[in-house]
Amino acid sequence: MQEVLNAHANHGSVFRTGAANGGWGPIMSYRAHLALVATLITGTAWGQEVTATSTTIARTWRQDTPGMGQSTYTPATEYLGVDATRLGLDGLSMHLYGWGASDLADASAIGGKQAGNLTYGYLQYDFGRANAQVKAGRFTVNQGVGNEQVDGITARTDLRFGFLVSGFAGKPVIFKNLSNNHQDDNAYEHDFTYGGRLAWREAKVGELGVSYLQDGSQPAYDLGLPGTVVDYTRRELGLDVHLTPISRLDVAGRTVFDVNDRPQAAPGADNSHVAEHNYKVTGKLSDQVALTGTFVERNFFAYFAGTTLPSLFNQNEQGMFRASGASLTWAATSKLQVLGDLRRTDRGNQGDTTRIGADLRYALAERHIQAGGGYHQVNGFTVASVDTAVPTYSLSHREFRAWIMAERGAASASLDTILLHYDDANNPSLNHHATQSAVMGSVGYQARAEVKVSGDLSYEDTPLYQRQVAALLRVECRFGLAGKGGK
Amino acid sequence: MFRKFAFLSIALGLGLLVACAIVSPEPSFAPVHPQALEQGRPTCSDCHGTDRVKSTQKSFASFDHTPEFIANHKLPANQDPATCAACHAPSFCADCHGGKTAMLPSTKLGNRPDREMPHRTDYLIQHRIDGKVDPTSCFECHGRANNEKCTACHK
Repeated sequence: MQEVLNAHANHGSVFRTGAANGGWGPIMSYRAHLALVATLITGTAWGQEVTATSTTIARTWRQDTPGMGQSTYTPATEYLGVDATRLGLDGLSMHLYGWGASDLADASAIGGKQAGNLTYGYLQYDFGRANAQVKAGRFTVNQGVGNEQVDGITARTDLRFGFLVSGFAGKPVIFKNLSNNHQDDNAYEHDFTYGGRLAWREAKVGELGVSYLQDGSQPAYDLGLPGTVVDYTRRELGLDVHLTPISRLDVAGRTVFDVNDRPQAAPGADNSHVAEHNYKVTGKLSDQVALTGTFVERNFFAYFAGTTLPSLFNQNEQGMFRASGASLTWAATSKLQVLGDLRRTDRGNQGDTTRIGADLRYALAERHIQAGGGYHQVNGFTVASVDTAVPTYSLSHREFRAWIMAERGAASASLDTILLHYDDANNPSLNHHATQSAVMGSVGYQARAEVKVSGDLSYEDTPLYQRQVAALLRVECRFGLAGKGGK
Repeated sequence: MFRKFAFLSIALGLGLLVACAIVSPEPSFAPVHPQALEQGRPTCSDCHGTDRVKSTQKSFASFDHTPEFIANHKLPANQDPATCAACHAPSFCADCHGGKTAMLPSTKLGNRPDREMPHRTDYLIQHRIDGKVDPTSCFECHGRANNEKCTACHK
């Protein structure tokens, strides 16, 4: 954890939340976060069941980029997680997870020589009834339209007559909007977020929910920043549904509305407030066969609302994305599973793409062997290039993958291979290199019940970096009593 | 001042009373699955048949870890996080949904090819194709977070 904290101290961006640049703001913020993490860690002393997990990963690879020479990278990364339950009270628990990384040889990696992140750190109280729960600290919200990393508080409970309610409020951990500025320079745009979800459940019906999310206390275009004509403030309303009238039928999906008023949208833009329809229907035809149909429709203008990367997810881009697909899952035997899938996507006047293929999965549980593989063909549309020598090129390609993993006693091993073949080598991204392939092998040894050591060796042949060999050493430690884990 | 305090106290008390009255009396979902499960993806309906998960009112079959469930686990995880938490620690989700990650999930878990990790092998080339086919697929994870590396090119 010290490494995480050091990384934060050096990197700064994580802990400088909401304060103006300079002055005591960032320092106080750092101290406040340090105190929060220290409190959480010392709180584990009260826990009757404490699980600590540590994964240390050291990697090295040499990158050969044509025209840019060779670079060697040797980053070391430490992931640390702590889960402590029954902190004095049966329902009180603490959960902490973060990482810190340092490049031991070269500081040229994007993100700097040192980096770190507190992924989550929160206290949680679970009530004995109504699935009622309260969390406070840094956590990831997952409620209706809200999928956010937040420093704040969240709560949920079941109500009588099948209703349930949940809500959250706090400060978004990441809210940077204008790419070239530090996120604290734009704190006013996404300085606060809140939302909630109300749902209703009924046996032989399923669940219906309505949710709302808002972030940003002031719209960006009110601030007089030159060139800012789009209001990035997010106000989203979501309707979600999950119907299981019979055990063999499952209907799920959601519709999201961008309910923000955007009077200054670009002239001619599609101003529809429907951001997304995303639905699927699964029918179990027998105990072995299930058929799934999917439909997705997204309107760029509404869907990209509130992005922190407007240069890439441009709200003013005209367009709509639609996709429909079907998949058939067949449990051929208790050990073999086959999945066939077909998906057709439509990007309006840009073109259509069809992806079709199959995956196999084989598990021999008693011998601790699993294997899988798949083949997919993607018939993509043709895009225009800025290169006058190659005015157009196709996106069509084929994907192949095969893998196997096995355990015997304390030893384990795995092998994973991937091959991508691009139909049009004139694609300027490919450097006239029509294939991309990778082979990764891993061997591991469970030295003790709580310690596992493994090493990976990979070989890649890519159009961008050509041939590249990478090695990785992984030490996983797990100490504690709690029954569940990341398996 | 006293009147205001009294009014607020009564309102708060009544609010708590109403809140307690409308909260479900049903016991919470088991925090931990009572039995250890076999290695690999569980098929809940193998043991639970056509029963329903009492706290969610959905069939156990809805949570069978089929390939289709793995590919579309967003909604069940969103609606029924307590069901996930019976077997998965929070760090399981953070393997992919970490917000800011140190390395690709497929690199971190290179010894687990059985897990469906996004962006295997060098993804720089392939993302130029996937992004053209469907830019909204990138947005779900990189539209509002975890996009520092995107800005190196997409300024």
